[in-house]
Amino acid sequence: MAIERELETIDLNVNVGPQHPATHGVFRMIITVDGELVVDLDPVIGYMHRGGEKLSENCDYRQAIGYQDRTDYLAQFNTEFCYVLAIEQLAQIEVPERASYIRVILSEMNRILSHLMFIGAFGTDVGFFATPFMYTFRDREMIQDFFEEVSGERMMYAYFRPGGVAWDVPANFKQRVRQLLPAIQRGLDEVNELMTENEVFITRCRGLSPVTPEQAINWGFSGPMLRATGVRHDLRRAEPYSIYDRFDFDIPVGTQGDVYDRYMVRVHEIEQSMRIIDQALRQMPDEGPIMAEGVRRVLKVPEGEVYFRSETPRGEYGIYLVSKGGDHPYRLKVRSPAFCNLSALREMSVGNYVADVIIILGSIDIVLCEVDR
Amino acid sequence: MADETTASPRHDGAIAEVFQTVLPDVEFAVAETASDIALTIDRADLERVMAAARENDRLAFDFLRCVSGVDQISALESVYHLYSFKWGHSVAIKVRCTPDDPHIPTVSHIWQAANWLERETAELFGIVYDGHPDPRPLLTEEGLGYYILRKSHPLAPIEEWQEDFLKEIQEAQARMATAAGPAATAPIDERALKIQQAQQKAAIMKKAREEARARGLSGAEEKEAVTAALRAWEEEQAAAATAAPAAAAAPAAPASDTASKIKQAQAKAAVMKKARDEARMQGLSPEEEKAAVRAALDEYAKSQAAPPAAPAPVAAAAPAAAAPMDRAAKIALAQKKAAAIKNAREQARMQGLGPEEERKMVQEALQKVAEEG
Repeated sequence: MAIERELETIDLNVNVGPQHPATHGVFRMIITVDGELVVDLDPVIGYMHRGGEKLSENCDYRQAIGYQDRTDYLAQFNTEFCYVLAIEQLAQIEVPERASYIRVILSEMNRILSHLMFIGAFGTDVGFFATPFMYTFRDREMIQDFFEEVSGERMMYAYFRPGGVAWDVPANFKQRVRQLLPAIQRGLDEVNELMTENEVFITRCRGLSPVTPEQAINWGFSGPMLRATGVRHDLRRAEPYSIYDRFDFDIPVGTQGDVYDRYMVRVHEIEQSMRIIDQALRQMPDEGPIMAEGVRRVLKVPEGEVYFRSETPRGEYGIYLVSKGGDHPYRLKVRSPAFCNLSALREMSVGNYVADVIIILGSIDIVLCEVDR
Repeated sequence: MADETTASPRHDGAIAEVFQTVLPDVEFAVAETASDIALTIDRADLERVMAAARENDRLAFDFLRCVSGVDQISALESVYHLYSFKWGHSVAIKVRCTPDDPHIPTVSHIWQAANWLERETAELFGIVYDGHPDPRPLLTEEGLGYYILRKSHPLAPIEEWQEDFLKEIQEAQARMATAAGPAATAPIDERALKIQQAQQKAAIMKKAREEARARGLSGAEEKEAVTAALRAWEEEQAAAATAAPAAAAAPAAPASDTASKIKQAQAKAAVMKKARDEARMQGLSPEEEKAAVRAALDEYAKSQAAPPAAPAPVAAAAPAAAAPMDRAAKIALAQKKAAAIKNAREQARMQGLGPEEERKMVQEALQKVAEEG
């Protein structure tokens, strides 16, 4: 008995971050450990809070597009898409066919881009030192080059506009996308060989921090985090926006809601996005306007409010827009999916090992600019 | 749960009726927004309505999408967007409270997702969610003490770091003033002149553009209006230049005023720099440093207010005020002040007071410190 007492461990606080590669940005966790076991975890966010919602309320509607790029900087087209759709719904703007197809194709490409980033970074978290990172970044680079050709920017595209897109896409748009798709598929096959079918990887991730569907819904999970628990819910299907009702695609779900399922859902979503892009390319008209007629540069939106939600790579991205008439929003609230997904980090982590907390955090796929806004 | 949620109509007017039949004695103000039905209720009913929304089988709102604060000037609004995975319908619930009494019951025991969402709204809007299990500020560790997303909060107050920049502008303006005065003693600073001209030009362009927008002119017309305004201004400038030699002969009266302002700004900058350097030498934390700088500035302002008749010896008086003799005392005072502020704020929060009362308490505490000092 006396010896056991001597070996008794005490609780120790371990501070991870805010500047730490495993925190995927500027994020801090205060972990209380008992030996290797996590007994408490306190996430600290807010390092990237720029008051962007307030800034948007002082811009006109077009100027605030750029701010949307700066929330989720890995899925800029998706966030812009949600924002312009919210304005269009409130101002009742009819978007030309061709513009809708361009937006959907770019958004789905962006989803692939974001999920590739996840796979690379997650691989590093799990312990494949940099190999998956190199593989996925090779593919990401191709897509980013393509986005640069379209929008003129590498990261902050600001290409979508209420009513359409800023300018027409290059003449070889369809051809370029068709070239990219097989290359992405090849890259994905390599990743599958390297990670998905890797026994060590599976052992590490299977059964780690399982979440039930009831818990996930109660915690406000959305996107791949929710679907990994087996809830077949995707806003593109549940509340189809833009032209998503025209495409045939599956909603991949997991069975156990563990880390491996979260990874698998994202891998399958890349395939589904490619299916959507393939159909959109076939349906997209070659000619036609890319901007709705009569939409002024300084747009005046009638009084009213809308909570527009769309499916970004991280889940339900919502824009709560309150307009009192005039040319800027009265209130613009961004419902950020990563914020809600991250809020349950403590519940998911307690009882696991410290090294596994890094994997759990990685599996949420956070973007801190979107969490803090 | 694994069933695919099916597409549902976005407008479901029936939901308001269901709420009414479930809770016949609650008053619902029904409004239709561009995305959902919005029900405004009294805050006394919130807990009952939310519990019923979650538990009642016909409502079954199991997913809290978002909690958003809205500052409606006369009232603070808390908006809850709900979604039901069972029925696929959604609704927005709104509750209002006055800024003097910003208390709203929490819903975090009904949906865990509300935990962080309410903490964020509480921090940015100053709404107190009564009964919240963890009411710490979310984005900043110690809380800001003011609520940045309220409309009453200015977008960008002049900050400490901007004062150097302001000083530069003032200097440039002073040089302009002296240049406009006796031309023989002070040669015209071309760069400053250019800056001034550019600023004037920008102001004119902005004004013209705003006027054009207010009148609802098109892009081309707006451009024309701006160029016309610029041409008018240039002609005016040319006319003034020919008349300038005559004006230059008379010594400019306001020059001395600007000069004293510059001196003041310089003295202020010196005080700030000194206080900061001292704080760093003593190895104080950034907060303490800030407090010390603020205290030094206050002291300086007081010393300014005392001899209002003599603006000339200001520059000499300022370094004296920051003389090494009372350095330690000043810092001690600043620390005392900071502690008093922190104490008062904590007490106010413990007592669950509103932000206005909290501010009052802080002011009282500061007064007490000043009296003691």
